[in-house]
Amino acid sequence: MTMATLERRAVLGLGGALAAGVTLAPGMTLLAAPAERTEASAGRRWAMLIDTNKCTPNCTSCLSACRKENNVPLFGEASRDIHWIRKVEIRDKEQRRPTVNLPVLCNHCENPPCVHVCPTEASFVRKDGIVLVDEHRCIGCRYCMIACPYKARSLVYHETKRGPESNPEVPIRSKGVVEKCTFCVHRLDNGQMPACVEACQGEGKGAMLFGDLNDPRSEIAKRLHTVATKTIRADLGLKPRVYYQGL
Amino acid sequence: MIDEFAAIKGDSQGYWKLLLGMGALLMLGGLAFIYIEVNGHGVTGMNNTVVWGLPHIFAISLLVMASGSLNLGSMSTIFAVKHFKQFGRFSAFLAIVMLAGGLAVLVLDLGRPDRMLLVMMHMNFRSMFTWNVFLYSGFTVLCFLYLWSMFQYPQFTKVAGSAAFAWRFVLTTGTGSIFGVIHAREVFHSAITAPTFVAISLTSGTALSILLLLTTFRLTERELDLRLLHALRNALIFFLLLVLYLLIVEKFTKFYSPAFYDVESWILTGSYAWLYWGGVVLLGVVGPLLILFNSHWGNQIGGIALASVMVVVGLFCFVGFVLIAGQAYPMNMFPGYEMSSVFQDGMEGSYTPTLWELMLGLGGVGVSGVLYLLGIRFFRLLPKKATAPQGWDVAWHP
Ligand code: SF4
Ligand code: SF4
Repeated sequence: MTMATLERRAVLGLGGALAAGVTLAPGMTLLAAPAERTEASAGRRWAMLIDTNKCTPNCTSCLSACRKENNVPLFGEASRDIHWIRKVEIRDKEQRRPTVNLPVLCNHCENPPCVHVCPTEASFVRKDGIVLVDEHRCIGCRYCMIACPYKARSLVYHETKRGPESNPEVPIRSKGVVEKCTFCVHRLDNGQMPACVEACQGEGKGAMLFGDLNDPRSEIAKRLHTVATKTIRADLGLKPRVYYQGL
Repeated sequence: MIDEFAAIKGDSQGYWKLLLGMGALLMLGGLAFIYIEVNGHGVTGMNNTVVWGLPHIFAISLLVMASGSLNLGSMSTIFAVKHFKQFGRFSAFLAIVMLAGGLAVLVLDLGRPDRMLLVMMHMNFRSMFTWNVFLYSGFTVLCFLYLWSMFQYPQFTKVAGSAAFAWRFVLTTGTGSIFGVIHAREVFHSAITAPTFVAISLTSGTALSILLLLTTFRLTERELDLRLLHALRNALIFFLLLVLYLLIVEKFTKFYSPAFYDVESWILTGSYAWLYWGGVVLLGVVGPLLILFNSHWGNQIGGIALASVMVVVGLFCFVGFVLIAGQAYPMNMFPGYEMSSVFQDGMEGSYTPTLWELMLGLGGVGVSGVLYLLGIRFFRLLPKKATAPQGWDVAWHP
């Protein structure tokens, strides 16, 4: 790993996508830095557990919260809209098993093919296992979109603008590059939960649980020990870090 | 036997018209690039399901033909078919110009082409794209050396030609592997994808060379011995049979496993089946074989030229099929389940290219065309007269 890479990763480690988006030059930032930050730690492994039994078909709170938090616009074109998280309905082809509704987002895979295929190392894995895209390095080749088996990535097809509603702590989506869920890395580094998890809890559903897999005292680590969970397409060997209960 | 090489005069109206035509395509490509760059990929037909479109079909097809263009040179340098030595320069030069056209489109279609240099600065050696950067640059250098040796240092021709020959196999394996290694895409994830790309580079490169030789020699009123054309026809038949073999083996293997029934049935009967059967199988392989095996057409210039056109169109269909059908086929995230969402999960992707993409793709053809026309005018790439020795004939005729 070169010095430049190390530095870049340190920057993204501190402020995640936020710092990458707003740091103009050393010591010169567009946005005020949040008061408390925790550095990305190699000891952590962030993960999510989604209980599909608690996720109701019509609820889209996590989706709206994500859009708002991360300045993810809707262009109004079904095939080109950006979705960092979406609700998927699955129906058994033989109609023997129940229909399930579940949110699908980037799985922050341990063996992420998106990172493997990225020619510029714009897609990379942070020390704590979060898979990020450095939007200043992405050349928009879209190879990562071809390689991700979860359709977790979107290309930004149109210019987007910062508006009064935009979250000033997160950069606006940038035309011509590929983006995806960051597990709200900027919030994590400030000691907060991802926006979707918070919204789900706020709705009283509590279908999403988020935490550090490596911390045996964490709720998620305990739940993974006690309930049966699945990951999507575990057979591909990517080791996704979004687990599902009730699938 | 091997007549002197000579640059073409290039002062006829026809030459200038052709050059202008190719220049116009190049300009159109440039225009489309600027338009897409300014407005974003929203002005193309691509979307978040089909993320690579018509420009990529042009780019990859040109790159595949680049590697195949080296066939004629390799026939003389590697396989010691002496009568093809006279086409060695043409062959190496053609490889370079096709590569230039293909790469231009590939780079200009990036979401952020202004950052292209980043690829050179931060390389991820696990990425097939990174490997392709090396493979393409290495191939260009080797073709230059090969060409140079043919002009100046014939004693090195064998070494340079052999290196370029080996490299082109690795190169096209690399191009095919861009697709073949991707586990997520059931249509093209296969160990046989890359060898099929190699085989198709052999057919399309030979077909392109036949077409260019025929037109260039005809328009410049140079003599091209029909027996040489027949030898190329035989090579083309052999390569076509190789493609057919690989296509059959792939289908046979896949249909043996129930896990592939869904995707394979979709390939053969789904929305892109017309492209598979009509473009890849009929136009690209079976049609040309029928013509070339026909005792009348297979021996005629017209028949061989028609078969060659079909092979080149078939290449575009093959690449188009791999790319578009490969992406349009829904990701199988929950085997055994149907899925739906606002992100079009479970739905077949749709893609209608726009004029801008066509212009960008044709721009690549323009780059190759202009370079070729300038090359044959300023360098002694082609023999004044292409002949084979008296009494020699190819071993087999249909
Ligand atoms: S889900 Fe897709 S985008 Fe996310 S880490 Fe895995 S392969 Fe990459
Ligand atoms: S689109 Fe960007 S992030 Fe994706 S592979 Fe290309 S350079 Fe990497």
